[in-house]
Amino acid sequence: MSAYTTSVSELPIGPPQAHFGFLETLWFQIAGTLCNLRCEHCFISCSPDNHTLKMMKTQDIFYYLDQAKELGVKGIYYTGGEPFLHQDFLEILERTLLDFPVSVLTNGLPINNQRADRLEHLYSKSCYSLEIRISLDDYNEKRNDAVRGKGTFRQVLNTYKRLYDRGLLPILTVSEIGDYLNPEEVPIDSYEKYVGLLQSIGVKQPRIKIIPVFEMGMLPIPEKAEKISPHMMKNYDHSLLQCSSSRMIAADGIYACPILVGEKKAKMAQNSLKEALKPCSLYHTACHTCYLTGMTCRNF
Amino acid sequence: MNQYKRLAICGGIYSNYLALQQLLEKCNKLGVDTIFCLGDIGGFGPHPDRCFPLLRKGRVETIAGNYDISLAQEREDCGCGYTDPRDNYFAQASYNYTFAHTSKENKIWMKTLPSQQRFLLGNLKVLVCHGSPRQTNEFLWESSTPKHLLENFAVDYKADVICCTHTGIKWHRTLTQNKHFINVGVIGRPENDGHAYVWFAILDHDGKQFRCQFHPLEYDYKKLAAEILEEGLPKEFATTIQTGWWTTCLETMPSKERSRGKF
Repeated sequence: MSAYTTSVSELPIGPPQAHFGFLETLWFQIAGTLCNLRCEHCFISCSPDNHTLKMMKTQDIFYYLDQAKELGVKGIYYTGGEPFLHQDFLEILERTLLDFPVSVLTNGLPINNQRADRLEHLYSKSCYSLEIRISLDDYNEKRNDAVRGKGTFRQVLNTYKRLYDRGLLPILTVSEIGDYLNPEEVPIDSYEKYVGLLQSIGVKQPRIKIIPVFEMGMLPIPEKAEKISPHMMKNYDHSLLQCSSSRMIAADGIYACPILVGEKKAKMAQNSLKEALKPCSLYHTACHTCYLTGMTCRNF
Repeated sequence: MNQYKRLAICGGIYSNYLALQQLLEKCNKLGVDTIFCLGDIGGFGPHPDRCFPLLRKGRVETIAGNYDISLAQEREDCGCGYTDPRDNYFAQASYNYTFAHTSKENKIWMKTLPSQQRFLLGNLKVLVCHGSPRQTNEFLWESSTPKHLLENFAVDYKADVICCTHTGIKWHRTLTQNKHFINVGVIGRPENDGHAYVWFAILDHDGKQFRCQFHPLEYDYKKLAAEILEEGLPKEFATTIQTGWWTTCLETMPSKERSRGKF
């Protein structure tokens, strides 16, 4: 339930702001913008040669984890780029799981049998949950591979099964890029298609998260992109926006949310988490997407 | 502030009036000073109006859950905040039925429910809430709730013992300085363990020591399942009641809890 809404008299001039409630979720752009894939729709254009955002230093991550513990953060999320490209990632996971539930957003390709065994070990010895989210962009192999790269469809399903067989129950994270690229072919039962896909490889407890497409990064920003107007925030429940309860840490500072990482206007603080816990500007077209779709980067 | 020595606390009822009847009878036998219900009176089950007279007759101290707030304010959904389309479908079916079958009088009564309550158990300061002390619809699962957050809650909300419900599965964590955080589970549906019974908690303080004991509660689950089907509610709700395995609203459940279930 919302604890805070805006009245008309509070409305600011210019882009509206999202109130800050409490820091529930803390994200780490652990691998910067480095990724082993080059997906057609990546909202921060991650790729094997994008070093715009640097890999985070392990000691910096531990520094922020200590702050997060003090502030009562509920869950830690690691993303990239591809987080498994960070050389200390498994060590970082182990340390994090001592104190926090952890979620990892991965494309799944780096998780071979050896890494899967290690993840199983970390999962089983921690009292906290370890959620592995694996990205896929279409239940159709050809359409997925056109977006994520040749062979990725099969590799993703292999990784999903590898982790499922070890009891980790991964979450298949699917974007609506298929609908975006092929609007005339939008199926009405895409959720069931993904359930069917996972069932076809022997998964009895399918977990699926569907996320909207953000028109930024690798995708062009539409000429007439919409933004949130102050009027739209009238009597609006700010807690519905993830920036009211999360922050994203990257190597170069702390950002309002995982989508706007690296965006200058979304930078909230340099290195003090406490300083970043303040209202943020809803200036970007991506803010409008979150507003419209109820999108959260969290697991739910 | 009221002071008790021994009390019963139940979580969401979800229109399971048969379990509520059994709870009241069992509490009579167990001997408690009072009974608390931590909200979500309706949902999933049949004939939501049958719970309210029982709550009043049993003088159950009830606080508001997100379901009760939504019904009282005549909102369009239960406010659980699901994003999974399957969960949303079933949550909406449950809410629409409950909304249509809850009387105006009971909706008005739900408006009067407090969001939290404080009391003393022995010399311990207790706070009871629905989801969490800071947010009515916050899910606090055992495997996704870090200890430091609970320690902060105890300090921020000045409580020795905090009790909540909302997720549907019970757990208890002892904190530093002998403080406690307890999710009492729910009596509305079984806790995804393959058993049909449901759970509630008894808290007591004998002047020296605090104790929290979870008690299983058996009731006529076959009758409840039959009535769910008679009322035209989704068969998946009846399956959960009959088998003890959750079939819906699984999205928010972390992997550790989910892997113990069947679906």
